[in-house]
Amino acid sequence: MNAEELELKRASLSALASLLNLTVLPVIGFIFLLFLYKQTQAQTIGRYYAVLGIKINLAAAIALIIVTGLMLLLGGFYSPWTWVFVISYFVFVHALFILVATWILVRSWTGKKLTTTFL
Amino acid sequence: MKYESQGVAKLYFIAAIALFVGQILFGVTMGLQYVIGDFLFPEIPFNVARMVHTNLLIVWLLFGFMGSAYYLVPEEAERELFAPWLAKLMFWIFLVAGALTILSYLLVPYARLAELTMNDLLPTMGREFLEQPTITKIGIVIVALAFIFNIGMTVLTGRKTVINLVLLTGLVGLAVFFLFSFYNPDNLVMDKYFWWFVVHLWVEGVWELIMASLLAYVLIKVTGVDREVIEKWLYIIIAMALISGLVGTGHHFFWIGAPDYWQWLGSVFSALEPIPFFMMTLFAFNVVNKRRRDHPNKAAVLWALGTAVMAFLGAGVWGFLHTLAPVNYYTHGTQITAAHGHMAFYGAYVMVVLTMISYSMPIMRGQKAGNIKAQVVEMWSFWLMTISMVFITLFLTGAGIAQVYLQRYSDDPLPFMVVQEKIAIFYWLREAAGLVFLIGLILYIYSFFAKGKEVEFVEG
Repeated sequence: MNAEELELKRASLSALASLLNLTVLPVIGFIFLLFLYKQTQAQTIGRYYAVLGIKINLAAAIALIIVTGLMLLLGGFYSPWTWVFVISYFVFVHALFILVATWILVRSWTGKKLTTTFL
Repeated sequence: MKYESQGVAKLYFIAAIALFVGQILFGVTMGLQYVIGDFLFPEIPFNVARMVHTNLLIVWLLFGFMGSAYYLVPEEAERELFAPWLAKLMFWIFLVAGALTILSYLLVPYARLAELTMNDLLPTMGREFLEQPTITKIGIVIVALAFIFNIGMTVLTGRKTVINLVLLTGLVGLAVFFLFSFYNPDNLVMDKYFWWFVVHLWVEGVWELIMASLLAYVLIKVTGVDREVIEKWLYIIIAMALISGLVGTGHHFFWIGAPDYWQWLGSVFSALEPIPFFMMTLFAFNVVNKRRRDHPNKAAVLWALGTAVMAFLGAGVWGFLHTLAPVNYYTHGTQITAAHGHMAFYGAYVMVVLTMISYSMPIMRGQKAGNIKAQVVEMWSFWLMTISMVFITLFLTGAGIAQVYLQRYSDDPLPFMVVQEKIAIFYWLREAAGLVFLIGLILYIYSFFAKGKEVEFVEG
């Protein structure tokens, strides 16, 4: 496997780790992502996707912390409104993070950077 | 248009859109009845409006599926439709029967309708979504058989591709599972089993095959990606859809008096049901990403991608939200079910039919794609309808969670109607989102008549 193929593989693994962290393997996926980041070189496609994965997962984590904080501050566990916001958040906003991570995974397979103008 | 007989689809699509308008009008009417209970009463009572809303959905989606099949199959089979005259004849029979049924719901009390149509000879009426009089059901079977014969003969005597075989399997399944609607046992548990054998095995079984094949067809056409690549995805998606969806029927057996093991089987297998929808998203993103051409019909590409995303959210995420037995114990039959139903039907089936219409209608009208203005208007309608459906779903989810908490979970549960008063704000917001959806639909219809600069087609 030459260096370019190796970076491509790291790029897709990083995108996959990011998706796994958001879905079935929280924390473990992120640790794997950090491990992949350490392995990549600067200015490579592998590094680009590792950094992108870390950013999106940190954004999702911060959003989760804010939601949890608001839940405790505003209503507590015994208010119906708390559950309205928390569950709606999970099924919609977190699902959107998953969709973005899916799009990033698909882009990583091509070895190209993420673009927004695909239509 | 490659084959003249594909033009039959146009009739079906026009009827589908007209019935879609009817469905949405009854939807916004009913949305208002949630908060103003006697709105249009006694002319259109809530139960009648609901029946018309759901029945129109089913009928127009069937028109959409049939139109899509009549357009797709000749091109895939590389031959003219076996009997175009039969397709036209069945169209008029189905349209007249469908219109008469809907009018009878509105004009005749349901019990009287059952008497008039001699339901007692073969009782099939009274079950949700399958309210049609027995005579209408027999008509549907005749239309479905003629349709399957026509499509089947076209496929069997022409080129057999994975797409048209998967589509044919889905359509045969649709016809076969409908036959369970004729069996109406006295035992209520048995009755529920057979009811779900129609409803669930349609929407979480064979309709997914139809959806996947339609999506695959449009994606081949608009991206130019190799058929082999798309076919491999299709195999995996339909395998996952059937593996999870068939035993996943068990999530409807939790509380109907069926044995306890269904709580495990139903929970485990229906937890797998988001997987085919997730794969469909991955598939659509991947194929568009690898596209070999920039097709001039950007609206069709948008609808195709939107279908994959919204089906994942509506059918996958919102389905999983309340599918596990311990959760469903509290959420069963609340507004959470309505939230899931709205987004799943829109995301999976409404959008895939609109994708097919968006791709094929300009071709049937002698263009490669709609003109620029028409596409811009159509894309506006896409966003208006899709975003408003997201909000309808979110408001119903909010209503549902509050309903579960106040009515079923708290230490001092409140009565149903008291809770309905408390969550009225969600219904008002849902109604506003419904009106935006209606505006989106009006724009969608206008897009077929908008005049503007023609688009250029450059093969990549």
